[in-house]
Amino acid sequence: MLEVKSLSKSFGGIVVADNVDLVMRPGRIVGLIGPNGAGKTSLFNLISGLYAANAGSVTLDGTPLDGLALHQRARRGLARTWQHVRLFPSLSVIDNLIIGARTYPAESLLRLLFEPGKIRAAGAAATAKARDVLARIGLPDAADKSIGDLPYGQQKLVGVARALMNDARCLLLDEPMAGVEGQAYQAMQRIVREVAAADVAVCVVEHNIAFIRDLCDEAVFMFQGRILARGSVQDLIANPELTELYFGH
Amino acid sequence: MDYVYSIIIQIGLFVILASSFNLIIGYGGLISIAHPIFYGLGAYTSGLLARDLGVPVPLTIIAGALLAMLASVAMALPALRISGDYLLIASIGFQLGMIELIKNLRFTGGASGISGIPAFLVPSFGRGSYVLLVCAVALAVVGLVRWIAHSDYGRAISAMRDDEQAFAALGRDAKWIKLSIFAFGSAIAGLAGALYAHYFRFVTSEQFEILMSSTILTMVVVGGLNTPWGPVIGAILLQLLPQAITFLNLPPVVLGPLQGLLFTGLVLIFMFLRPGGLVRADGQWRATGSRQGGG
Amino acid sequence: MFNFTTVAQILWTSLATSSYYVLFAVAFALVLKVNGVFNFAQAGLMTIAFYSAHAAIAGLGVSGHMALAIALVATLGSAWGLEKFGFASLRRNHASPMFVFIFTIVASEFIAYVAMLLFGTWPKTIFAQLFWPVRLVADIAISAWDLPAIATTFGMLLGLWLFLRFSRWGQFMVAVSDNAELAELYGINRRQIYLLTMLIAATFSTAGMFLYGTRAQVQPLTSLEIMLFAVLATILGGIGRIWGAAAAAVLLGVVQNSSILVIPSEWQGFLLYVFLFATIIFFPQGIRLPALKRRLAR
Repeated sequence: MLEVKSLSKSFGGIVVADNVDLVMRPGRIVGLIGPNGAGKTSLFNLISGLYAANAGSVTLDGTPLDGLALHQRARRGLARTWQHVRLFPSLSVIDNLIIGARTYPAESLLRLLFEPGKIRAAGAAATAKARDVLARIGLPDAADKSIGDLPYGQQKLVGVARALMNDARCLLLDEPMAGVEGQAYQAMQRIVREVAAADVAVCVVEHNIAFIRDLCDEAVFMFQGRILARGSVQDLIANPELTELYFGH
Repeated sequence: MDYVYSIIIQIGLFVILASSFNLIIGYGGLISIAHPIFYGLGAYTSGLLARDLGVPVPLTIIAGALLAMLASVAMALPALRISGDYLLIASIGFQLGMIELIKNLRFTGGASGISGIPAFLVPSFGRGSYVLLVCAVALAVVGLVRWIAHSDYGRAISAMRDDEQAFAALGRDAKWIKLSIFAFGSAIAGLAGALYAHYFRFVTSEQFEILMSSTILTMVVVGGLNTPWGPVIGAILLQLLPQAITFLNLPPVVLGPLQGLLFTGLVLIFMFLRPGGLVRADGQWRATGSRQGGG
Repeated sequence: MFNFTTVAQILWTSLATSSYYVLFAVAFALVLKVNGVFNFAQAGLMTIAFYSAHAAIAGLGVSGHMALAIALVATLGSAWGLEKFGFASLRRNHASPMFVFIFTIVASEFIAYVAMLLFGTWPKTIFAQLFWPVRLVADIAISAWDLPAIATTFGMLLGLWLFLRFSRWGQFMVAVSDNAELAELYGINRRQIYLLTMLIAATFSTAGMFLYGTRAQVQPLTSLEIMLFAVLATILGGIGRIWGAAAAAVLLGVVQNSSILVIPSEWQGFLLYVFLFATIIFFPQGIRLPALKRRLAR
């Protein structure tokens, strides 16, 4: 479970998060919606540790994440995807996944040099897991392809797959559906449901309201760094004031 | 024959320097100009320990490499805690500051340096044996760099170079990786320095100044950043070229600058006409022995 | 040792000699702020400035003012070439910061080697003599070089400030330094601004080098050494803060010169590096890192 309490952040005069409270429970999918510039991605950046908050706290399964760097939060089971995918172009698809495992012993030069057996074993395990994840997202044959050879929708699926390698307790998905359609769309929906069903707390930032409606158990509406409303997706969508804020902007 | 041996040893030492520098700047993506000073620290440490304290040479060589490594960590740790840009600044300060320090300390011989460094291998086995030693070490270093580049560690540093933030968000400690690459590369430079000291037996701070940075940089850029063989080609070419100009019999006052002009001119030409260097790096990372080939 | 006259003398002299350091630091800081580049090629520009002035006087026998004018033309032309054929080209090819850095250092070294070939490595000065008449004011020796140097520096800083604050082009420069993409959306031509910044930096470098070369000896590699001072001042003053760099240059100059009172002279050079590391370790916050973006992306 991920708990955000009174989280605040401003850059100079710009407030990106204003006393935000949010809970993501295991097995539930929270939809984070709002117009552009509402602070949704900034909230993800604060939770994952890209920015340090000015006030407030973030706790994962009871462990406070405050003061922890990006990589330390990921190691405790917080995984995320990016709006612009951000896969590694110099690596093949499967290598992109392998590097996303929660622990990667080969990142230590000392271990590489002095524990070759352990490194080999970890590598084999990660490779097997990566193939498994690729099969789950419906791209079993994409393993050795280079990122540039994949259509955009598949790249986004690989981005999610990479996040899945973390065996995360909490998964933050930043606009997973943007630019995605057809088969990839179906695959993405299926994956997100499966992940939640495995008792992971999921939060999705999306503009695609149909996706939010089909998938999310609850929704949260953000505007100018504040949470204005929470509740079922139906209620939020039906609220005329929120619609005005969303589209009037 | 002695002249030829010296040339080969110089080439071998520069292959070691260029390869280790490539590890730092090409594979690690770290910008630093301080490689010569770690070379120098290795030379001074090994030379002084052997000459003044009578420590057996193989041990002093290891000590030289270790000291270079520790110094590099001391330099890089505060800088990398902030970012890679600070490493550049710290390296400029360290390179120049350490030279100043060495020139002013008495036990390093000040500006005159140290001489009478004990020889190694040569008295018992002749100069040829040292040539073999240096070549063996050079080959080992190149092989090691190549192995690291294609290992699981190499996968990590390739990803880190692509997008450091996305890399860190996966749980990878980019700062630690950068520090260890820097320390390892600098340790190898220290090793090369120690090897230099026990053959040429005379070391001064003048030999490790900022202009050596541009020599090593030229070798790596012209040879090819980010490939195991690029620096080797670069080192060989750029050690042989000056030898070729020597035969033009120009006065030394012209020879030195001409050589410098050649090196820097080459870098500029290559930067704009063939940025990949002579040995172009493949944009894709591949594991050792993978079907698509490695190397 | 610590009597008033000695201290006052050292303070005065260091203040006067920090004048050229201020000019170099401001030039470096300006290019860093607007163009987003650590322009180590400035050392090359400084070398060109000095040797043009020197050659004009030693070779053509012109007056000091003429030599300064010739040096200015040569340096401005070189800066133009550097920007048009160097930086612009690297920008077009989306060169990594690594490559840009290599380019700037190597360009300076290339120019140093050319200078070595043309002028040799023997130390040279702009005027044949380094002698400047000295006047005693309350027991403090004030050289006829000091006041013009300080006045020039002050005048140029004032000019730059007025330019950045009140002129259209100056405002454009500030806009580009803040956010180049946004500035372009407002119709500002980024390439022209980058060129302008380089030309201003060249002007400051020329003035600084003329001052330096009329007071001290110069060899082909001298400007690279002086550059370190400029880099250090830029960091201490805060990356992105031009006036901070200027202040830091004065402070560094005064501290380094005054250190003669407490440490042996051979350690004066080393002191600077101690400062550098102390800054990185203890005052990194004074250095605004997020401002340092990769502006050569497009």
